Amino acid sequence: MIGERGWRKAGWLVFFLLPGLGGLLIFSILPILASFVLTFFSWDLLTPPRYIGLGNYFQLLGDKSFWAALVHTLTYIAGYVPLVVVLGLGMAMAVNTTLRGIGVVRTLFFLPVVSSWVAVALLWSWLFNPKFGLINYLLSLIGITGPGWLFDPAWAMPAIILTSVWKDLGFVLVLFLGGLQAIPNDYYEAAALDGASRAAQFRFVTLPLLGPTTFFVFIISLISSFQVFDQVWIMTEGGPAGATTVLVEQIVRHAFSYGEMGYAAAISWVLFALVLGATLFQFRLQRLGVFDAQ
Amino acid sequence: MHSSLAPSTPPNPMRPQRRRGGLLSKTLQYLLLILGAAVMVIPFVWMVTTSLKAPGAVLTVPPELFPRQPTLESYRRVIETVPLPSMFVNSLIVTTVSVIGQLTTSALAAYAFARMEWRGRDAVFVIYLATLMVPFQVTITPLFILMQRLGWVDTYPGLIAPTIVSAFGTFLLRQAMLSVPREYEEAAFLDGGNHWTAFRHVVLPMIGPALATLTVFALMSTWNSFLWPLFVTRDERLMTLPVGLAMLHGRFTTEWSMVMAGAVISVAPIILAYLVAQRTFIRGVALSGLK
Amino acid sequence: MSTRFASRWSLVFVILLLAALLSACTGVAPAAAPAGGAAAAQEPTTLIYFTFSAAPDHLKDLDQMIAAFEAANPTVKVKVETAPFDQYFTKLQTLIAGGTAPDAFELNYENFVSYAAKGALLDVSSLANAEFAKRYYPLAYSAFSRDGKQYGLPESFSNVVLYYNKELFDAAGVDYPTADWTWQEELAAAQKLTDAAAGVWGEFSPVQFWEFYKTAAQSGCSVLSADGTQVTINEPGCVESLTWMIDKINKYKISPTDAEMAGVSDGDMFKQGKLAMLRTGIWMFDGFKEAPFVWDIALEPGNTQKAHHFFSNGVAVSATTPNPEAAWAWAQFLTSSPEAAKIRVASSWELPALNDQSLFDAWLALDPPASREVVFQALDSLVTPPVIEKQSQMQDAVNLLLEQAKSGAITPQEALDQAKTEIEALLK
Repeated sequence: MIGERGWRKAGWLVFFLLPGLGGLLIFSILPILASFVLTFFSWDLLTPPRYIGLGNYFQLLGDKSFWAALVHTLTYIAGYVPLVVVLGLGMAMAVNTTLRGIGVVRTLFFLPVVSSWVAVALLWSWLFNPKFGLINYLLSLIGITGPGWLFDPAWAMPAIILTSVWKDLGFVLVLFLGGLQAIPNDYYEAAALDGASRAAQFRFVTLPLLGPTTFFVFIISLISSFQVFDQVWIMTEGGPAGATTVLVEQIVRHAFSYGEMGYAAAISWVLFALVLGATLFQFRLQRLGVFDAQ
Repeated sequence: MHSSLAPSTPPNPMRPQRRRGGLLSKTLQYLLLILGAAVMVIPFVWMVTTSLKAPGAVLTVPPELFPRQPTLESYRRVIETVPLPSMFVNSLIVTTVSVIGQLTTSALAAYAFARMEWRGRDAVFVIYLATLMVPFQVTITPLFILMQRLGWVDTYPGLIAPTIVSAFGTFLLRQAMLSVPREYEEAAFLDGGNHWTAFRHVVLPMIGPALATLTVFALMSTWNSFLWPLFVTRDERLMTLPVGLAMLHGRFTTEWSMVMAGAVISVAPIILAYLVAQRTFIRGVALSGLK
Repeated sequence: MSTRFASRWSLVFVILLLAALLSACTGVAPAAAPAGGAAAAQEPTTLIYFTFSAAPDHLKDLDQMIAAFEAANPTVKVKVETAPFDQYFTKLQTLIAGGTAPDAFELNYENFVSYAAKGALLDVSSLANAEFAKRYYPLAYSAFSRDGKQYGLPESFSNVVLYYNKELFDAAGVDYPTADWTWQEELAAAQKLTDAAAGVWGEFSPVQFWEFYKTAAQSGCSVLSADGTQVTINEPGCVESLTWMIDKINKYKISPTDAEMAGVSDGDMFKQGKLAMLRTGIWMFDGFKEAPFVWDIALEPGNTQKAHHFFSNGVAVSATTPNPEAAWAWAQFLTSSPEAAKIRVASSWELPALNDQSLFDAWLALDPPASREVVFQALDSLVTPPVIEKQSQMQDAVNLLLEQAKSGAITPQEALDQAKTEIEALLK
């Protein structure tokens, strides 16, 4: 750039780059590579590693629990992503006003976002308690006998999904709010002058101009929901009867409960492939204009 | 219509625009707002009221909405049986070191990427971006093995080390630095300064918002981090709040007043930080969305 | 020109530096293990003892035993580390794999085999001769040996019995359980004792691995064949037993569902008077002492035969400890010294696995429960856990299938057929 040459510059480079790049190399890049190599071995940390080629991957193909985890992860995504996007956008539109006290509402929405997953998961485990919890009590007030929630294989995943939506809603809301406020008023005024109804304004002005924000929200939600773990671990540990086992929980189980490090690494690489595939697919959709004007 | 038509300065989500009419009818808007606010706040209220009940008095049918005799007994019991205060200190130490580490290493590296020319710079930056794509769970097994070999399991270095650098932070700060006009730095160099003075006195002060954003993200993610501390700490005295809270739940499965007391203790600090620095938090999130 | 050259080399330099750092770091052997300090002549040796059974109820008892040991061995100090049972073996595995194994640690019968097979345990055969072995209850002693070598010492044994709430029986006009009871009598009594409106159930036993293999034995079926090579978990007796366990909840409704328990433990429910009968371990004697009603224990009803659990915890010395003599002395003291045995008996911390009737006489005299002799009678029909090298995987796999059968997703026959396939895969 400006000024120096040669070794002086090398010195500066080391100074600026070494901490960040060095750390990334040791704690991120090398482990990523090591993890890939690990997938071809069987290693329990007590005895020396054993090379088994594609053995772990073949075992994955026949592993019922792995496929169950995959299905449950996809179920989670199918429930969580649409809910959080639709509700987030809806609430963002409601919050997008100059009413007095709207700041308080916005603050309230963001409170779950800054809380830890553990605290939120425990709170909702308590709320969803079938006998003593608030939710079934409120349901009983309107004449509905609430289900067993986290104790019922059919209702455990919905409970987890609802908890996750509650926690992330504020985050999505703020993102959409930013996007909504970036749309200049002129477009709405022009549309209104043309006689467009509120619904039409939404369809032809808001949605298309929100395109990039919506795209971003989808990407973030998708990537993070493939990696769902904290709330599952706390609320159900993958149960009941394996009804909520998810991919990361399988990784953790095989690595730390069974000492199957290579197998756990293999599952994590499958997870990575899924996340990469989903992201690339989304980018493809964007290029095809799915997130743009109708 | 494309996003290029949007205004180039990021809107401030704290100051909404005026709009005539609006997309939602007023009644629908009010309804949504009231419902939404209620759904957000009631669980928190429930958390606090449960924590104010005495241990053993929680499992009532129907549930008591407000404790008849509020007491701090559950808090007392929790602190006696689980070293929550020391866990709080652990979380504080880990988060502080981690945030400072991320800010420092990311700012320094971002400068190297944004302002220095060197062979392979763009290739290395692509590698940075690539690591962002890889989920943390891919690295957890080798990282754990590394910690074992280093003897860092159940130690502060083991807890902190993987969180000190941030590819995301480097990316964020690089973007911010790229939009700082060059004239200022050139002036600094002409005045006899070197890279360090340019970095410290010219570039850094001009990327304030981005630094704040990174601080917010690093703070939230480290304070609430669960998976890594869960497996790298075994000794109670080293656990961070989220792990300690999970352990509390494991030990007192149905003593919900104690579990909620623990939850309140673990959530209060960050909520406080948030309330104090709301603008920064929200702007940070909104900004990241618009990149 | 020189700029590009220098900048490329600077990158290389950075990478080399890191490689050097990394190798230097990994070169630092974790031999700086905390397990004991250097045993200098005057300095005390510190042993680390890792246990699950002591926390949370018996830490004071363990501390008393340590005090007695340290008084007799002034150059040795014992430091205790604990973990709850469901995390204990994960943590132990990590500690051993990381080279920081505790000097001595607790193992149970089921997990002993995996650790012995991996060479993590010190072979104490030379230190423990036949005379020494006579101190211990023979079955427990042999449980901690493998291939003719001794790897651990039995610390305690325990089993599971039928607890019953006398007052609930009296109120319903039902006779107390006797040693002749079979499942039929149990069902009849439980049906009279169940009062759905009051939230009282006749009986509870969890549907999980340990309860299952014992209940299966009551029908003459076992998970593995006697030599451990065949998997017999799906034979008719086992299917009948699993069906019975699930029917108690779903068909006869004399046991609560998980949702009905809503997270409250079976022990707590018994103490609250919500369960008339409960199958759980004798380790609960101390916990139920303060129950506001009179309770007692009885032998479990069988089906075609009686069967009771036999559990044993043992203490092993790490193969890599720098203080084998001190650790061995501690293991011996904890498991067979009169002081330790007395402390254990006095607080009902399971039973010492010793061949000493006089010890037990003191224990038998304690009340509640009044019928403590049942614990020894149960030894006549004991069944040990099925053990394979991949124990955790087998337990988890079977538990998952049992839960699925309980929820009605699959039939008991399907569950056990699938279990057979999975266990056979684990045996390979």
